[in-house]
Amino acid sequence: METLINGTKILVIFLSMGSLVPFLVWAERRTLALMQSRLGPNRTGPLGLLQILADLVKPLMKEDFAGQATHKGLFYLAPLLAIIPPALVFGAIPFSHPLILPSFEFLGYAFGPYTFYFQGFNLNVGVVFALGVSSLSAYALLIAGWSSGNKYSLLGALRAAAQTISYELALSLALVGLILVFNTLDFLEMVKIQSGPLTFSFFGSEKTIPFLPGWGIFYQPVGAFLLFISFLAESNRVPFDLPEAEGELVAGYHTEYGGIKLILFYIGEYAHIMVASALMVTFYFGGYTFYPFLTEDSLNGLFQARMGEWAGLLTSLALFITFLVKFFLFLFVFMWIRATLPRFRYDQLMDLGWKTLLPWAFGNAVVTAVVIFIFDFFKRGSFFG
Amino acid sequence: MDSLIFYFLSSVLIFSALRVVTHKNPVYGALYLACALVALAGIFFLLEAHFIAGVQLVVYAGAVIVLFVMVLMLFDLKAEKQLWKISPFRWASVAFVAGLTLGVTLLEGLLGSSSIGDLGFFSAKHIARLLFTKYVLAFEVLGVLLILIAVGVVALTRLEREDD
Repeated sequence: METLINGTKILVIFLSMGSLVPFLVWAERRTLALMQSRLGPNRTGPLGLLQILADLVKPLMKEDFAGQATHKGLFYLAPLLAIIPPALVFGAIPFSHPLILPSFEFLGYAFGPYTFYFQGFNLNVGVVFALGVSSLSAYALLIAGWSSGNKYSLLGALRAAAQTISYELALSLALVGLILVFNTLDFLEMVKIQSGPLTFSFFGSEKTIPFLPGWGIFYQPVGAFLLFISFLAESNRVPFDLPEAEGELVAGYHTEYGGIKLILFYIGEYAHIMVASALMVTFYFGGYTFYPFLTEDSLNGLFQARMGEWAGLLTSLALFITFLVKFFLFLFVFMWIRATLPRFRYDQLMDLGWKTLLPWAFGNAVVTAVVIFIFDFFKRGSFFG
Repeated sequence: MDSLIFYFLSSVLIFSALRVVTHKNPVYGALYLACALVALAGIFFLLEAHFIAGVQLVVYAGAVIVLFVMVLMLFDLKAEKQLWKISPFRWASVAFVAGLTLGVTLLEGLLGSSSIGDLGFFSAKHIARLLFTKYVLAFEVLGVLLILIAVGVVALTRLEREDD
């Protein structure tokens, strides 16, 4: 029974992620256009919404060719490998407060108390899992470029993979500071901590700022900035999209791909952006809560008074909508940056990753650790607890 | 259900590990190694060692093998592929090592220690505490080793360039 529920959850997450991508493509085209003083797709259907259908049907009807691919098996495997890692990470992120169902009777069977997590799977090492699985996305690039049988694809793939693994380092180190502050690797725990007011121990005494939520961005502003830039680079997104730029190396690792295989690559890229957005929200912006008004306690209190039994479900739904609002806000920021910034040259990109982001992330982790140690020292009164 | 997943993952692991050593193209070998490591991470997850599984994915499958694959893709591998084809001992060597492994496993199963038992739940905090108290020397020595490797690589490439 448990397996069935979890399996269905994973399927729903995967399918909803795939379905959100065409909508994101439309949103991106409209957003970019409006920022560039033009209109974007507005002829196919109202507001250009049928463009989503057109974008989906056209590649499906194209010829499925492998061209000069030297390794046909890997050539067909690479697009699949592009969409699986972000989908897995998406499954570990909590979208809402877990729903605790009391035991009830249905068709003669007694179902015990059950906690329904609004995630595909609840891991207590969520952060390490997310980092690990997203680093597997480098394989899709490499396999795609190498199996295409095209020199330029190979070069583009190697560049893209080098970029990916370089920015993974800055990503992990920027997260170290956050893990030090929150003292946990679990996504749900992090969101729970962020659903309270902003507290920190200041040279021994606990200070609380009651009107600000305890969001990660207040504890780790530098880390948040570094993480955001690293996510932009990880998902091959402008200004770091040299691997798939049209004018460089033809189109990089997906030069030889067409039709539905290319669409799978784009789904992978947009899935990466969705994962980046969801992770930014979960780590630094309170996840599905918004402290003074929209936490599980305040909403539970509000709904309990009126609805009684259904309070839990309504709380979870309201928190889910909070998450979605923040999630779409960050997706908009990604598109905004695409409309604004020019592309980096490859050596500028690698310099930024190794010579700027990595030292800053190191520094962030060290400074965070030192500050926490000093404040703990004052709280404890001795060097080792 | 758990045992089904275990049998599936272990068969993937064994098949991938076998293909690492029997495929004639080294790039495929590296990719099969990555597949084997992902299956191994799955088995670690089943054993409730979530942290080790995650770290396996991050470090081993996600960085080390990626670099292997990147380097291998830059080489002309005709010589390696040819070597695998002409060697008369290729299947014999694979069978020998496989037989050795099987023998050791069976022997250990018959005479070795009992099952792992219930180690309890090791979270990342427990592992960190152990690393920094009981095994701190090994930890620091490993750090020094990594720095040595980095310095050595830079020195080697500098030396090669100066030889031109």
